[in-house]
Amino acid sequence: MRKKHNEGRKDREISLLVSIILVFFILGIIVFSVSGKITKEMEASATQNLNESLNLIECTIEAMLNKEAEYQGMMAQGIAAMADPEEYVRSYEKSETMVRIALIRVGETEGISSTGEVFTEEEMDFSAGGTIDGLPVSQSYLNYMGTWAYCIKCPVIKDDQEIATLYVEYIYDTLDKSLPDGFYNNKAMLYIMDAETERFVLKPQGMGERSAGHLNLTDYYRANDIQEDNLREQVEACLKDHQNIMFYHDIRNKNSLNYMWSVNDGTLYLIGYVPIEAIQQEGRTVNQNIFIVVAVMLIAFLLCCILYYFNQRQQNKIRKEREEEREISNRRLAEALQAAQIASNSKTMFLSNMSHDIRTPMNAVLGFTTLLAKDAENPDKVREYTKKIMASGQHLLSLINDILDVSKIESGKVVLNVEEFTLNDLVSSVDAIIRPMAEAREQKFLVEVTGIKHECLLGDETRVNQVLINLLSNAVKYTQTGGNIWLRIIGLKQRSNQYERIRIEVQDDGYGMTKEYLETIFDAFTRAENSTTNKVQGTGLGMAITKNIIELMGGTIDVFSEVNQGSLFRVELEFRIPEGQADRLFWAEKGISRILVADADVEVCENIQTLMKDVGVEVDAVHSMEEVLSLLHKYESMKDSCHVILLRGNIADIGCVEVVRQIRQEAGETIPILLMAEHDESGIEDILQTENTGILWRPFFASAFKDKIREMQTGMTAAEESEAKEGSNLEGLHFLAAEDNEINAEILREILSLENAGCEIVENGQLAVERFKNSEEGEFDAILMDVQMPVMNGYDATKAIRALERRDAREIPIIAMTANAFAEDEKDALNAGMNVHLAKPIDIELLRQVIRQYTRKEQ
Amino acid sequence: MGFLRKGSAKKLGIACIVGMIGFTMAACGGKGQSDNNLIIVEKNDEKIVSLFSPMEKTEANVENVARSAADKTILMAEEKLGVSVGYVTYTAEDYQDKSYDDVALDRARNDMDDIYLLNPDTISALAKEGKLKDLSGLDCAKNLRDVVKAANIVDGKLVAIPQEVVAYGLFINKDMFDQYDLELPETPEEFLECCRVFKENGIETPVGANRWWLETFVLAQAYADLYNGGNTEAEIAALNSGEAKYSDYMRPGFEFLQEMIDKGYIDAEKAYVSEAIEGEGPDFLAQKTPIVMAYWGAANTETAYGKTDFEMLVIGFPSSRGQMPVMPMTGFGVGSDAAHGEDALAVMDVILSDEALQVYAETNRVISPSKNVEVECIPALKPLNDRIQENVYVLGANASMDVEQWGNICLIVRDLLNGATVDECMAKFDQLQEEALKK
Repeated sequence: MRKKHNEGRKDREISLLVSIILVFFILGIIVFSVSGKITKEMEASATQNLNESLNLIECTIEAMLNKEAEYQGMMAQGIAAMADPEEYVRSYEKSETMVRIALIRVGETEGISSTGEVFTEEEMDFSAGGTIDGLPVSQSYLNYMGTWAYCIKCPVIKDDQEIATLYVEYIYDTLDKSLPDGFYNNKAMLYIMDAETERFVLKPQGMGERSAGHLNLTDYYRANDIQEDNLREQVEACLKDHQNIMFYHDIRNKNSLNYMWSVNDGTLYLIGYVPIEAIQQEGRTVNQNIFIVVAVMLIAFLLCCILYYFNQRQQNKIRKEREEEREISNRRLAEALQAAQIASNSKTMFLSNMSHDIRTPMNAVLGFTTLLAKDAENPDKVREYTKKIMASGQHLLSLINDILDVSKIESGKVVLNVEEFTLNDLVSSVDAIIRPMAEAREQKFLVEVTGIKHECLLGDETRVNQVLINLLSNAVKYTQTGGNIWLRIIGLKQRSNQYERIRIEVQDDGYGMTKEYLETIFDAFTRAENSTTNKVQGTGLGMAITKNIIELMGGTIDVFSEVNQGSLFRVELEFRIPEGQADRLFWAEKGISRILVADADVEVCENIQTLMKDVGVEVDAVHSMEEVLSLLHKYESMKDSCHVILLRGNIADIGCVEVVRQIRQEAGETIPILLMAEHDESGIEDILQTENTGILWRPFFASAFKDKIREMQTGMTAAEESEAKEGSNLEGLHFLAAEDNEINAEILREILSLENAGCEIVENGQLAVERFKNSEEGEFDAILMDVQMPVMNGYDATKAIRALERRDAREIPIIAMTANAFAEDEKDALNAGMNVHLAKPIDIELLRQVIRQYTRKEQ
Repeated sequence: MGFLRKGSAKKLGIACIVGMIGFTMAACGGKGQSDNNLIIVEKNDEKIVSLFSPMEKTEANVENVARSAADKTILMAEEKLGVSVGYVTYTAEDYQDKSYDDVALDRARNDMDDIYLLNPDTISALAKEGKLKDLSGLDCAKNLRDVVKAANIVDGKLVAIPQEVVAYGLFINKDMFDQYDLELPETPEEFLECCRVFKENGIETPVGANRWWLETFVLAQAYADLYNGGNTEAEIAALNSGEAKYSDYMRPGFEFLQEMIDKGYIDAEKAYVSEAIEGEGPDFLAQKTPIVMAYWGAANTETAYGKTDFEMLVIGFPSSRGQMPVMPMTGFGVGSDAAHGEDALAVMDVILSDEALQVYAETNRVISPSKNVEVECIPALKPLNDRIQENVYVLGANASMDVEQWGNICLIVRDLLNGATVDECMAKFDQLQEEALKK
């Protein structure tokens, strides 16, 4: 439609342009015609004008000649009356016009002249027969003055009888004075030519170019390149017939009008030319003026066109801009609509999923609770049902946590909790969660750690853990049964000594993802769906959360995937290395300063060397059974030894058990031997039968190694040890709990009673304050405080308690137990004076730990 | 925003409209009529100075450099003095016509013009008749070279000043000389030998001549020793007193010419009726004739030999002292009774000033009469110029000689061309000397 509209407009513009060109063309033709007409008319007028000018000159010359002849006739009459005419001639003083006179008596051939010389008619040539006013005139000749002259002879008649002939010599220079000072603005060239001799006898002053001085007609032809035979013949014919002729011919590259004008019946000719440009000066001026007018009109028209053009352009631009704006607006609206629809769909889908995902475990909880009520007498069933209820509840909690995470991240409320952690703990906790999941799907879960220089780092372990579990649980979910999952933790080159750069790769050889899905993988509320995966449970929020957490930690995440080939998530993070000495004390206390590491994989040995170097333990690395044995011999000979032997079954092809056995035999009973094994390695349990021998799960971490050594030496794990130290339950403790929700209060009471702890519950903060106020010192070991309560909330109650003037008011542990689980809630709780913040639902183990921690502190 | 802002476009439009109105009004407007008389009266108080000079027959669309150079100086005078110089020219149609010199004499004697461009003989004749003004008072006269002054002082008056020092030489076709392995001739004998070789090789007339300039051969041979022997004044004194005879000086040159004519090296009949350059020029340019004689300026101007298809050199005439330039000295003279005598003298002072002569010399590439003006000559003129710079030359006219040289020798050479014998020619010289002695 728009294209059509544009084409229509283009056609109209072309039509307009063609019309303008046509108008100009017609205008041009008219101007050209008018100009041509004017030129022709002016040319005709100029030619006529030239005719008239030449006629005028002709008439002037002829009048002068006639006057001369007339005067000469009168002079002859006067001489006839004189007694001594010769005396008159002798005494004649030359005038400007008549420069010499002479008289020859009839019958004589010689006479006298006014110059005193003998005069004969032979000096003159009257043969051409030219006359002036009836008197014979001679051909032109150079006279005694060195100038061109002519002679008129006149009979002297006395008493009707011719007694003598009077010869008078005239010079042409005289004519010059009576001729105009030039015509056509001195551009016209004029010569007076003697027709008989064709000599140029006078070039009047001001007539034409000064430097031109032609000798005769032939010279004139040659100098002006008038060589065309037919033209020459025509001119000759005219001269012969005493006719006038005008013709066009270039003179010195200028188009000129040449003329040959008969004077005195052809005895003299006016010869010359006028450049056309001089003739047509008026015409040219008129034409110039016409062109000026046309040019002005043209400029005005063009100006109008330009203004119109710019106006149109401006209009078009505005229109275009508006159209563009409208288009953009429409597009944005459409996009917004689409986005809204997508969002709506996503959220609808999300809600639908949530509804399904929440209802499913909820159904399990309610269903099994019903069954539990029915089979309450059957302890096995009760245990089974509670186990399932617990699992469903955990799943429900994870869903809620995810939703909360998204909400927090989207509202920018996530705050990283930076603490010291070890990669060992991280990998162990992840391994503990993922490996069972993978094993349930018969998948192989492989963990590799390389190039790590520091395993103790500063960071939000929980969030890193969350990221890894998200990625790995996805990998497990989206990998078919029997597939492979890899977790690689790779130490990258440090940018700074203070930071450890780590790349975490999670790879699987599962279903993979389409290119289209990869583009939206990190968007919230999206889940890869196909016939294979749509059965997979999930909120569709995991990847969005993951990406946001990584970015929050200043890291990056990239994903590479191909359908049916698998996926690779690559996360790069940087963790600060904690200051202070590594855990050298433990090793020193245990007397371990040298260990022997035997692994066929050189890289693994190097990793161990790097990590152990950090804690001040020397590592002797060997890569084969023979080398191990050789080194042990060497220790023996040097009366030195290593303090622990770490080995892998790959140093020999005889199986792990046999390897351990042989080394044990060689090393003796005292040196602890640890077999580094994969979790899924089979047949290694037998090793544990051997004294002072254990298994260290790969990958190697110094901290795991440390725990293992401690375990082997004490026979307990670190957790067991810690628990043993701290006591196992809350027995004997008495709590004040502020909880407005009866169910929650009941749960709390029951949980604490299970721990053999007493609990007094009040319904709001106010009551809690009063109860504490009225209690005896030491009556309560801690206060468990809900936050959102009627009458007085937990924060105010805490502040009030802390403000009480009792010794224990500032010391009694107040533990926030609230469904307000955000970081700012925790911050508010601490600000209010609470000691610690625990989010609901209550994790009994966590509660136990916290209470123990704070009550112990109290003690 | 756009190519033009809306405001700018408006301003531009208004400016254009105002401009157009202004332009149109200026184009169509005129001065208001304040007088009822429509005739525009032009003041005509222009001073006119008449200059008589020859005008060469012109070819279509060919510029005469010498004329252009002179025109430039005339324009300088007109601009400086506010005068108008009118040209009066004469050129003889053929040998039967009155010569330019004859006409110049007639015109000067009848005071027809104010300034005349004169040949040496007419300068001498008119000066002796008192028809030329003394120019020694002009500023421009102070800068003249001595040789110029010497040639133009008659009875103690400086009667003419040239715009160029005219030097005559032999114009030779070097290519043709090379073709026949000929050296450039130094002496008359060598010259005759060259002519013989040319003749034998089919060159019909080795020397192109006209009725004016053959006398240069005679002058070179006659006065080579007189002007270059270190005894010039004494020798001239001897000639003026009759102790020495002009005919004795002239005879070798005439005999040389006679031999040239006899051997067909010169076409005497043609030369007798030929005008300068017109007669011999076309054959020389067409390389039919290897040698012609002409004046310095002919080598520079296209109307003469300024543009040849061959390598041209200008050398001196053969003489006992080697190649000899002949310098006759033309000049501008002012009529003693000129109608506009004072204006004419003022014009002379401008056109012969160092400034004007510099322009003239640069345009025409000639030797300037002013000792203050030097220009480089064209390569073809170098051999001739070298001799002049060495002060080796023969004067074509000398006012201190009682017998006028340039005109008389020319006329007597014409007699030789017309069939007179060498002895008859010598007799004429003797007669002229006798007439001079009688004065």
